[in-house]
Amino acid sequence: MVDVSQHELVPEHTVLDEDVLEEVLAEYDIDRTDLPKIKRNDSALPDEAEIGDVIKIVRDSRTTDQAVVYRLVVE
Amino acid sequence: MTNVHYDVDDDTIAVVEDTNLPRRLKDEVYETLEDRGDATVEDADELSKAVEARYMDTRVDPLDPVGTVSAQSIGEPGTQLTMNTFHYAGVAEIDVTQGLPRLIELVDARKTPDTPMMTVYLEDEYATEREKAHEVVWNLEATKILALGDVSTNVADMRVQISLNKDTLEERMITAEEVAEIIEDNLGVSTVQQGTEIQFGPEEPSYRDLLQLVEELRDITFKGIEEVSRVVIRREELDEGEQFVLYTEGSAFGDALEIEGVDASRTTCNNLHEIHRNLGIEAARETIIEETHNTLAEQGLDDVNVRHLMLVADMMTNRGEIESIGRHGISGSKQSVLARAAFEVTVNHLLNAAIHGEIDDLDGVTENVIVGKPIKLGTGDVDLRMGSTDSGGSQAD
Repeated sequence: MVDVSQHELVPEHTVLDEDVLEEVLAEYDIDRTDLPKIKRNDSALPDEAEIGDVIKIVRDSRTTDQAVVYRLVVE
Repeated sequence: MTNVHYDVDDDTIAVVEDTNLPRRLKDEVYETLEDRGDATVEDADELSKAVEARYMDTRVDPLDPVGTVSAQSIGEPGTQLTMNTFHYAGVAEIDVTQGLPRLIELVDARKTPDTPMMTVYLEDEYATEREKAHEVVWNLEATKILALGDVSTNVADMRVQISLNKDTLEERMITAEEVAEIIEDNLGVSTVQQGTEIQFGPEEPSYRDLLQLVEELRDITFKGIEEVSRVVIRREELDEGEQFVLYTEGSAFGDALEIEGVDASRTTCNNLHEIHRNLGIEAARETIIEETHNTLAEQGLDDVNVRHLMLVADMMTNRGEIESIGRHGISGSKQSVLARAAFEVTVNHLLNAAIHGEIDDLDGVTENVIVGKPIKLGTGDVDLRMGSTDSGGSQAD
């Protein structure tokens, strides 16, 4: 099987710890459900991700060096 | 820190690195300081602080109607796009949808683009040796019977006769035995094979069965991926040196990645949904940006600022899957009745809303414009009150 995370279009996906997540939500003053979403069956997700987890994605950005975004795992 | 190539002292480096600037701007600061030669650390400090201040100023103001600005920034050059699709894309003989039709395809998130195409990069020796590259070509391109030889029907004997071309068999790296076997598996008939001649016939002597067999024979894919109708090899000058790159007409991304010799880390395709299925939503987002940018750039409109395209891509991929902009996607799932009714299919939305007693909260732009209230963006976010405040300390809300 092909390792999807090796592809140049796919950025780094990591599961976020709960405590770090709390900080992030506090900083943006949002709820979990306000985050952008990612599907459970997404090919780039790490295997241990479950519904309700938040994924931290670090992209190489076209407007700056790196951009960090968060996505909530949904069905 | 990657600043080894700049001729500046460490204090200067420390001062520049301390700012919040992106790498590109820091590099420019270094270049400027390097050119000046006589710049002191204080100069460097002043310069980088000034650059940082300007950089911070260029950020979007809160509540700027960024969506409208992006829509206009893409729409205006959109009026300059060609409406017809017929040119070759600059890559050897492969037809790709361009211009406005392609932009529409992307924004509508069409499941199947008109001209699916893959750009296949090869790895290691497959990229540098012609023989090896051809191996991959034949594993990709769908080989049908007519490419391999001639088919004739002998009605008198109720037999289908296939005369295979030896050179073609060799070139495409398939043997007559394999061909015969594939025919047997697919059509369920037993074949007689002598060298490059294959014969078979229907079980009962019926004209209909015979002709049907011939039709089915034409559809069999003997080698390669069915969806890929043509593959073109080009030798290109890449960063890693000269390599063979394959361009395919027809796209089967998942299958293509698995073929030996294919570099599964660089190969790409122009079908958004295939990228989404195989590489995930982030890759799909990046592809949307890339494809829209290329579509505009092809017609000379490459100065549309990328952040407008990024906004569109972000909106389309926000929910974890690719949504179209139109009434089956984002515009159709707005909360406001009036907004949806104003977009398309007016009466349906109004009727359903009336039947179900829907309430419109008048939060968005469209609905506020309809009822004549100020919108909540830009100056509309500010509430102005007049009055006097008492002695110091009490602040107006």
